[in-house]
Amino acid sequence: MRDRVSSAGCFARGVKLSLSRPYLAVSLWLIQLLLASVLALPVSNALHTLLDHSSSGSRMVADPEFGWWETVRRVHPDLLGNFSDAVESATSAEGVESSALGALEGIGATALSLCFLGIVLHAFALGGIFGALREPQSSLVVIGREGMRRFPAFLAFTLAAMAAALAAYRWIYLASGKAWRERLNDLDTEGQAMALTFARLLVFLLVLAGIKLVADSVRAIWVARPDLPAVSRFFAGLAAAFSRPARLFGVLVFYLLSGAALYVLWIVLDPSAGGEARFALVPLILAQQVFVFLRSLLKVGYYAGVSEALTRVPSPEYSYVPAPTIDESASVDRTPDEPGVERPAGAI
Amino acid sequence: MPRAKGRSALLAFASQASLALTLTAASLTRPIASYQISCRLDTEKRAVEGTELLTWTNTTAKPAATLRFHLYLNAFRNTLSTFWRESGGERRGDRLPESWGSIELTRMTLADGSDLLASLSYVSPDDGNPYDRTVAEVQLPRAVQPGETISISIDFRSRLPRVSARTGWKGDFYLVAQWFPKIGVFQDKGWNCHQFHASSEFFADFGNYDVSIDVPVRYRGKVGATGVRVEERNLPGDRVLYRFRQDSVHDFAWTADPDFLVVDDVFREPAVADTQIRLLLQPEHRGQQARYLKATKVALSGYGRVLGPYPYPTLTVVDPPWGAMGAGGMEYPTFITAGTHRMAPASAQSPEGVTIHEFGHQYFYGLLASNEFEEPWLDEGFNEYMEDRVVGAAYGSNRPVLTAFGFRFPIGVAVHRPLDTNRRYFQVATEDVLASPAWKFRTRTSYGANVYSKTALAMATLERLLGTPTMNRALRLYADRWRFRHPTTADWIAAVRDATGRDYRWFFDRTFYSSGAVDYAVVDAKSEKVEPPKGLFESEGGLVEKPPAELAKGKGWKSVATVARLGDVAMPIEIVLKFDGNHTYRSTWDGEARWKRFRVDRGPRLLEAVVDPDEKILLDVDRTNNGRLVRADPRAASRWTARAVFWMQNLIDSLTIAW
Repeated sequence: MRDRVSSAGCFARGVKLSLSRPYLAVSLWLIQLLLASVLALPVSNALHTLLDHSSSGSRMVADPEFGWWETVRRVHPDLLGNFSDAVESATSAEGVESSALGALEGIGATALSLCFLGIVLHAFALGGIFGALREPQSSLVVIGREGMRRFPAFLAFTLAAMAAALAAYRWIYLASGKAWRERLNDLDTEGQAMALTFARLLVFLLVLAGIKLVADSVRAIWVARPDLPAVSRFFAGLAAAFSRPARLFGVLVFYLLSGAALYVLWIVLDPSAGGEARFALVPLILAQQVFVFLRSLLKVGYYAGVSEALTRVPSPEYSYVPAPTIDESASVDRTPDEPGVERPAGAI
Repeated sequence: MPRAKGRSALLAFASQASLALTLTAASLTRPIASYQISCRLDTEKRAVEGTELLTWTNTTAKPAATLRFHLYLNAFRNTLSTFWRESGGERRGDRLPESWGSIELTRMTLADGSDLLASLSYVSPDDGNPYDRTVAEVQLPRAVQPGETISISIDFRSRLPRVSARTGWKGDFYLVAQWFPKIGVFQDKGWNCHQFHASSEFFADFGNYDVSIDVPVRYRGKVGATGVRVEERNLPGDRVLYRFRQDSVHDFAWTADPDFLVVDDVFREPAVADTQIRLLLQPEHRGQQARYLKATKVALSGYGRVLGPYPYPTLTVVDPPWGAMGAGGMEYPTFITAGTHRMAPASAQSPEGVTIHEFGHQYFYGLLASNEFEEPWLDEGFNEYMEDRVVGAAYGSNRPVLTAFGFRFPIGVAVHRPLDTNRRYFQVATEDVLASPAWKFRTRTSYGANVYSKTALAMATLERLLGTPTMNRALRLYADRWRFRHPTTADWIAAVRDATGRDYRWFFDRTFYSSGAVDYAVVDAKSEKVEPPKGLFESEGGLVEKPPAELAKGKGWKSVATVARLGDVAMPIEIVLKFDGNHTYRSTWDGEARWKRFRVDRGPRLLEAVVDPDEKILLDVDRTNNGRLVRADPRAASRWTARAVFWMQNLIDSLTIAW
């Protein structure tokens, strides 16, 4: 029997689950904060040395005065290396080659390394989140335990997804950019060129979305069906992604839209407008961290939404805690058109 | 039409044109190199065939035994040309298309019919590149004596490249520039006729131009060129001929595109002759027509008020199509190419900035025809300075766009002129001496940063040192004195001296002729409460450990500020000490020594010391050290640290979305 749950419903239920278990978002937020904190001291020291006694320092960074930034780049080439150029190139119509990484230095290089570390820790956090979502009662300890239990498999999925995404960038976005570079200039109007670039970008983003949804489906089923052998779980995950692509894609779109809305709100409120911020330091930091935490809540909501979209009720998976008794009246998973008793537990 | 027959027709037309020119020309200056050209655009071969009648006068005191010609299109002949070698096959960050161009001379004779072509050889006076074909030399059977005028007839065939550097075609669009054999400038020291370089432009003598352009009929009404259009005539074979004339210019360029939207307007200002503006716009930029026209009028007014009125009756502004931006942002007499994008938010000063900049070259290059090869700062740098002034006054600060994945989005960041717009200088500050020939800079980045940005900042600094009215007087004097001539840097320095009554050679020695950086810093600022003195003091004939009553009680603050010259270059600067209670102390320093200490005893508490408080010295390469607070204020650094951590969290979060 095919359920009729909408992607909006899945995402909404996911967010509700996320809100009901805020420690999941706390764990994500903590991981990101601790990783980012690695940069705090070198950045802080450099900035305090430059600006603390400078009477025009706050004005310069608030305004901002670009000449000052160029001076910093000249005086401290070791600070960022070609970080800004690499980011600019990565978002250009042609894209950036991996060789650009070779010229990263200092904080720029550290930031990239932290991102890689972040991706590894993300694999751990996802194991914890998916596992904890299926526990009626969980905590940070459960997240840690579940994360460690699934770390090898989830790390493999994450690295495979990352490799697939990088390959998509290389072989779809970059390769099409190179192939069409000359032809782009041969087009009659800039409008046509923009349409072509948009098409390239769209294809790349769709492939990226596909990779992500497949990876997330595999993760969700990996947790939901511990009764299956590993290989079967993997293929069941793949099958799940292909069986409900629209719903999964919808959940992803809702997640991205809500994240974008948060950013729009942040830009409109503009609480960190340069060195002369309108907020004092402590409220500013609080506002920033609340923002990151809200993003983490949405992220957990998304994963819970994916889980919702693929599995209707908790599975009797192996766990350190007793399997929950399915109470249809209390289950937040249940939908009115689908009595849970008609479906085997753990059905996909 | 058979080729020989066509050539005869062209020559006959050239003779007629010559007569008309003699009868009607009213030159603004004495012509030295005048051209009558008849040409035909062959859209199949992407080529222009032409006949040129050059009338040249030797204005030096030395006989000329040879003639040298620029054959600029040969820069695109192959990858061995000096232009290609220097550019590395790139321009403005884009790969140059492998589409080749060339110019071949098929006939060159004197008025008496003597052939010059047989003696033609290629020379490379700048780099000795044996493969460069951008300068040709011919031996004359008899030297041209001082004051003598000769005529040379030349047949040529110009093959145009796909638009790359300032010239070429794209689809049906043509920008035909640097396209005809052009004589160099003969000076007392010999021929000044440089090769075509990646980073340099032109240098030529003034003359009168009369050019007839034969194009396919689909270009009817869609041809723009230097000067005034004086004739439109149908030709057999579905072709149409346009004839343009302009006196007292030193180059001629033209464009044709059947897609052009032709917009005519008039610039009118009291006590100044009207200027007919012709805007040749791409249909997809139709919405930016008003912006183009406004910018053109702002430029005509802004430059004219400082440097004297624009003297020509027409100005043609060309908007190149997509894929031909290499033809954009270029200047020729009475004819400029600008360029814009489909997504050009009103808050971003594009196409305004480029339109105003290229118009500015009507003065710095056009009227004040300095040598762009040898002293490129006199046109590009001076123009950059004036552009900052004109655009800043008319439009305020710029709000640039962020380009991501080929799309352009407005961002809410203000870019101030002239400091931010010339920021590239601060990145390379000491790499080269500004006053270097265009092709002798270490890198293209250094060329741009010095020739454009450092010059603009130096000129803006000079304006702040002299005051704007005095600077305007100097600029006007320079412009009036050297209009229709070839000024040099020495002439500008003399104009500054004459306008101010003081010799500012020292300023130019330290900016134009130096690679040194200006960097003043307040390296120390302290203020301590005056404590009662300790030790032995004379009292009633002996020594006691008690200070006299007038010293016993500490009074006020002891303040010290040290200003240091960290850069090699010295400038006169001002220093302000700010004290508690809104007291200030202002002093000046010639800036020559390595440091100077300012001490105030028993005064109010010092809060801050600032060097160059009015931001006059815009060349100062590090402005963070220009002011020093006695008490540290960590707020800015703390907030930016918080932002850095926040950005990092977002970066990690965004990257982990993907997988």
